Amino acid sequence: MSYCVNCGVKLDPSLTRCPLCNTPVINPNEMEPNLQAPFPYPKKRGQVDAVKRTDLAILISVILIGTSITCGLLNLFVYRFGHWSFYVIGACIVLWVFCTPMMIYSRLSIYLSIVLDMAAAALYVGIISYDRPGNRWYAGLFLPILLLALCVLLILVFTIRKICRSILTGATALVIASGIFCAGLELLIRRYFDARLYITWSSIVLACCTIIAASLITITVRTRLREAVRRRMHL
Amino acid sequence: MKQTENKQRGQVSRKDWYQLDLSANVYPTLQSRKFSSVYRVGIVLKEPVNPVLLEQAFHMTIPRFPLMSSAIHKGLFWRYLEPNHAPLPPVMEDIINPCMPMPFKSNNRYLIRLYYFENTFSLEIFHSLADGTGALYFLRTLAAVYLRLQGHSIPNGNGVLDIHEPVPPEELEDSYMKYARSLFRPKRAQEKAYRLRGTREPFYTLNIISGTVPARTLREVASGYGASITEYLNSVLLYALMKEQKSRRPSRELPLKIAMPVNLRRFFPSETMRNFITMVYPSIDPRMGDYTFPEIIQQVHYYMRYYLNNKFLNADITTNAATRTHPFIRVVPLFIKDLFVRQFYIRIQDKQSSAGLTNLGIIDVPDAMRPHVDHFEILMGQPFSARTNCAVCTFGGQTVINFASCIVETDVEKLFFRRLVQDHIPVEIKSNRTMEVL
Repeated sequence: MSYCVNCGVKLDPSLTRCPLCNTPVINPNEMEPNLQAPFPYPKKRGQVDAVKRTDLAILISVILIGTSITCGLLNLFVYRFGHWSFYVIGACIVLWVFCTPMMIYSRLSIYLSIVLDMAAAALYVGIISYDRPGNRWYAGLFLPILLLALCVLLILVFTIRKICRSILTGATALVIASGIFCAGLELLIRRYFDARLYITWSSIVLACCTIIAASLITITVRTRLREAVRRRMHL
Repeated sequence: MKQTENKQRGQVSRKDWYQLDLSANVYPTLQSRKFSSVYRVGIVLKEPVNPVLLEQAFHMTIPRFPLMSSAIHKGLFWRYLEPNHAPLPPVMEDIINPCMPMPFKSNNRYLIRLYYFENTFSLEIFHSLADGTGALYFLRTLAAVYLRLQGHSIPNGNGVLDIHEPVPPEELEDSYMKYARSLFRPKRAQEKAYRLRGTREPFYTLNIISGTVPARTLREVASGYGASITEYLNSVLLYALMKEQKSRRPSRELPLKIAMPVNLRRFFPSETMRNFITMVYPSIDPRMGDYTFPEIIQQVHYYMRYYLNNKFLNADITTNAATRTHPFIRVVPLFIKDLFVRQFYIRIQDKQSSAGLTNLGIIDVPDAMRPHVDHFEILMGQPFSARTNCAVCTFGGQTVINFASCIVETDVEKLFFRRLVQDHIPVEIKSNRTMEVL
């Protein structure tokens, strides 16, 4: 058993460095580290138990399925005007997709979750387009916009989760994503109306976003500025 | 067998539900995905633990402590505890990162975990169920039942309860409401204290540095300064914090305060197994000038003598109890209370102390149990903010001082143990840190 030369404390034989001051343990009589000494703590790492919310998911599913079936039957046999029950059934499907997958499988990837949510939104608007057809607006306008939103959102989430390390960098990514989405939105609208492909109103949004993003990047890079902003803006 | 036990437990406590006591109301408010107010008490035996017998002992002991097998639920205005009839959690192999968050709806809604590792078994408890004293009663009774199953004859008494006797209502009472009778409610000082700044460890990491010192030497050194062991250790921690603050060369120094829970059972005739503690804050203010170590001890000694008496503590818990009994506060919905209490804790309460220290004192066990027990270990658990918490207990001539923190830096622990060595107290260190300290 050795003592730390700096702290003067007796160290457990499993320690190769003093845990207080990080000084390596060098015992002239035992130059080879004692790797056989048992570690006094367990080595297994614990994980927090996942909360099971399956019961709530089942309850929500039953309520939504019940609502859908009841409305469908009412539409079929009692109130037969139009396809009104499609809207209710579509809303139930959207709600189910939004709420329950995370409850059933808590390790569901956020990317898959976003894709599922967008698909549910596409389905609901698809129901509306089925009931109110005309001008091919669903395939020509809505689906490309949804696809654009999906791509921007996936890239934004990936950037925030993997690259951004602070609120400021996260905000920068959000601002840039908003600018790109607005520009893309305008181009898609123009394409749908067969207009010339250039940007007008979205250029103003893009310019604002560029200025804000440049300011945020400057604040992020300049340490003193960042600290000053943090002091003044703290919640 | 488990089903029969669960039925028995159901019969014992079917009618019961319990209001959370005064302290217990705060802990669930701070609950998040990354934080739970969980602490650990452990017993190190002389022989390796048999997990099968331990599980059996656990099932036999738990009906005697109905609160330990309860689940926390949300009401409209307050949370409450309800008996939990789900199968008890299994005894698990111990882990390197103790006191992990304890989501209320996981673990069959139980708020306790029981671990074993070599000669040790450890109990982790959510603070709303019991304070350290209550947890130690449970642990010692569990250890006695376990040793009886091994064939040893262990009598009841000295911290071991009779598992066959009915639960006295006094053990389940909210002693705060019973003893808070002061006509005067002193206001609290709400001055900010110095807070450690450290690099946070990744989630799920709890760094432990454990120092073992001979209790006799510690007592002699403390007596040499004219102080008790608790006063001495508080002073050493304040000294370490003072040195740490000075090493950072701050533009203006802040007061140094230690949050120390006081066991109110010493001052009131309570037999409760629930929470019955209040916090005191021994402190020094470096803005008034530099303190020498003897001066710090003197300051802490007189602070303790001045504040630790039943009159002052009664007034203190009456101030706390007022929040529980105020008609307006009572009718505010729980989610609004949660919002305010959490913000109050984050913005005021947590900033009032620089570190935490608890001393559970000398742990008593029946004489027949003594040869089987090596020592006890207490861990205060994950601190709410980036700081270090210190828990102390004494058994069999050894005082175990456990520091638990979620930060990489170990300056406070280093200065603390170096001061003990300087006072000629031999310290033996072990740690669960696997990375190099910065």
